[in-house]
Amino acid sequence: MTTAPLSRRGFLAGLGGLGVAGILGACATGSDDTSGTASSTLTLQSSLSDADPKAALTKVVEGYTKNKVTLNTIAIETFRAQLPTYLNSGNPPDVLTWYAGSVARDYASKGFLLDVSDLWTGSGPCAGFSPALKELSTADGKQIFVPTNYYWWGVFYRKSAFQEWGVQVPTTWDEFIQVCKTIKSKGVAPISMGTGSTPWVASGWFDYLDLRINGAEFHRDLLAGKHPFDGPEVKAVMDHYRQLVEYIDPKGRSYSWQDAVTPLNSKKAGMYLIGAFITSAVPADGVDDLDFFRVPIIDPSVPVAEEAPTDGYFASAKSKNVSGAKDLLAYLAAPQSQQQFIQLSKSSNLPTSQQVDTSTFSPLVQKGIKLLNDSKAITQFFNRDSSDELQTTADTALTKFLDRPGDVNKILTEWQANAKKVFGQ
Amino acid sequence: MTTVAAPRGRRDRQRAVPAVVWLFLLIPALVEIGMVFWPALNSFYLSLTKWNGLGAAQPVGLDNFRDLFSDDVFRGALKNNVIWAIGFGGLSVLGGLGLALALNKPRRGVGLYRSAIYLPMVFSLAVTGLFWRVQYQPDGTINTLLGAVGLSGLEKQWLADPDTALYAVLVAAVWRQVGYVMVLYLAGLKSTDPTLDDASAVDGAGAWQRFRYVTWPQLKGVNTVVFAVTVIDSLRTFDIVWAMTQGGPYHSSELLSTYMFQQGFTFLNLGYASAIAVVIFALALVFIITYLIRATKEEAS
Repeated sequence: MTTAPLSRRGFLAGLGGLGVAGILGACATGSDDTSGTASSTLTLQSSLSDADPKAALTKVVEGYTKNKVTLNTIAIETFRAQLPTYLNSGNPPDVLTWYAGSVARDYASKGFLLDVSDLWTGSGPCAGFSPALKELSTADGKQIFVPTNYYWWGVFYRKSAFQEWGVQVPTTWDEFIQVCKTIKSKGVAPISMGTGSTPWVASGWFDYLDLRINGAEFHRDLLAGKHPFDGPEVKAVMDHYRQLVEYIDPKGRSYSWQDAVTPLNSKKAGMYLIGAFITSAVPADGVDDLDFFRVPIIDPSVPVAEEAPTDGYFASAKSKNVSGAKDLLAYLAAPQSQQQFIQLSKSSNLPTSQQVDTSTFSPLVQKGIKLLNDSKAITQFFNRDSSDELQTTADTALTKFLDRPGDVNKILTEWQANAKKVFGQ
Repeated sequence: MTTVAAPRGRRDRQRAVPAVVWLFLLIPALVEIGMVFWPALNSFYLSLTKWNGLGAAQPVGLDNFRDLFSDDVFRGALKNNVIWAIGFGGLSVLGGLGLALALNKPRRGVGLYRSAIYLPMVFSLAVTGLFWRVQYQPDGTINTLLGAVGLSGLEKQWLADPDTALYAVLVAAVWRQVGYVMVLYLAGLKSTDPTLDDASAVDGAGAWQRFRYVTWPQLKGVNTVVFAVTVIDSLRTFDIVWAMTQGGPYHSSELLSTYMFQQGFTFLNLGYASAIAVVIFALALVFIITYLIRATKEEAS
């Protein structure tokens, strides 16, 4: 009880101040030119609010000594909604975490992102990154993104379960359907998929079937609105998807993606097409038994493409300390920082730098690296290749399709109409 | 004496409002204007624009409202809101009133029952949503219970089935609200005159007649409060739907508020979202004003 009680006058003055600030701040549509003073302290705005990644980034940032850095961690939903405001404000955060792909390009086209092309040339920290990553980080001929880690998608299963059921890893579509049949005959749901509170999971199979049947280029164009969702190509995709419906665990409709890992773990479900982040939802003793295979090839003439959602950083074009922001980006992209972050965050993410020593990473991660190295094209994921709004049209269409596969034509027509509205804006 | 005292008393009262009181009133008024009315007015303006949070908002006239009424999701949400208002309002008022009548008379353990029924109100809506989501899981309590009593034919994926999702959420919301309405009515019943009840009982009125013609008219004041609270609560329902279904599966449990949130904060269509907000505001206003006019008319007559 040593603190002096808040004086009433001070309290009222504060309230009055709040009121005035409210009035000033409430000019919702005005440009907010806050009187930001240039300072040497850099702000890093982070959406990594889960405990492990947050702790990992905090540790990595602590190792940066050249400038003072303030790390602001914000819950991802808020971060997503506020991102345009951050970038557009008069005194924006210098460096921000986000995804590569269409969202970053969209901001770049509005002039919000700092041109970081010099980090990608000469002896810059990103110069050694793969051409696919460079292309992904490029907008209008300039690099505006610094990718620091990415992950792969695959059909995950338990090795011991496959052994028990006597099934082999399939490589073609027909083999895959055969595996589904065998697993189903054992009274086990062949495919787990949590589309309840995370309906976007249903886009995983959609993306992959489109990549396997129509290829990566068509897929990207489809998500950019250059092809219709009710055309013959997407119908072919849905024909294949329909063959899977009877093998998908119907209870998955009530599950989130995390919930749907439980049946896989307890061998009540056989396989799960999901990102490498699945390892965070598997108990520690189950990770060693976990393995994955590439989504089976359907048309061998289509170049193999994989989804590899890429995370990283961009800097604000209005940063008051451009050289400091670039220096921080360079630090975050350096091999040591990447390695430290991946290990501390306990994820199965892959480093973008080829100089990171991956020999200490788990065999599963090594296999993931190989999977991506063997693929001819890389896509991000439905929402990252399009927008969150188009993702919602996919969620509606695909969850409805899982309930009523017979209505596929009607559903695709609706999907196209909804997608058109999104692209029309 | 009294003729002299009266004007002096008035002058005293006038002098009794010193400047500092106006200052005290001014500060909350400023806070209210700055943080409530001004942003609210802004959302009216925004509803006539197209704005994604970047740069200046583009005025588009009434386009947002035209789009709204050709938007299937919005129309579905509006219909769901009507179902919600009737279901949520009706069930929680009937349930609350019934419980209040049952638990009004003091008897052994009645306090325990009252607290138990009021308890869900203490939890936040998000927690209530999570709790019920577990009950509704495919292998959750409800399906297990149905199976145990031989009704496994009725087992459903309550939240994943577009035919049941909205009602499943409704049950959870009513479960929470009913205790609140009960407490309001218990307070109302406390202010009724028990001698009237006794007198009518002596005159030979049955239980229903005593309630309908003696107790109910005395609850008029509470009814106004309950009605206003229920309409406002049902129109602003958001958290519990968001926690349980997020408006899914495929918009079948979408309410105006969840759709507004999605448009505004997930898609950043702030103009369109503001238009939905204006519709919600107009609906609430229409309900409340109609009711208040009716209530004052009844009082006057």
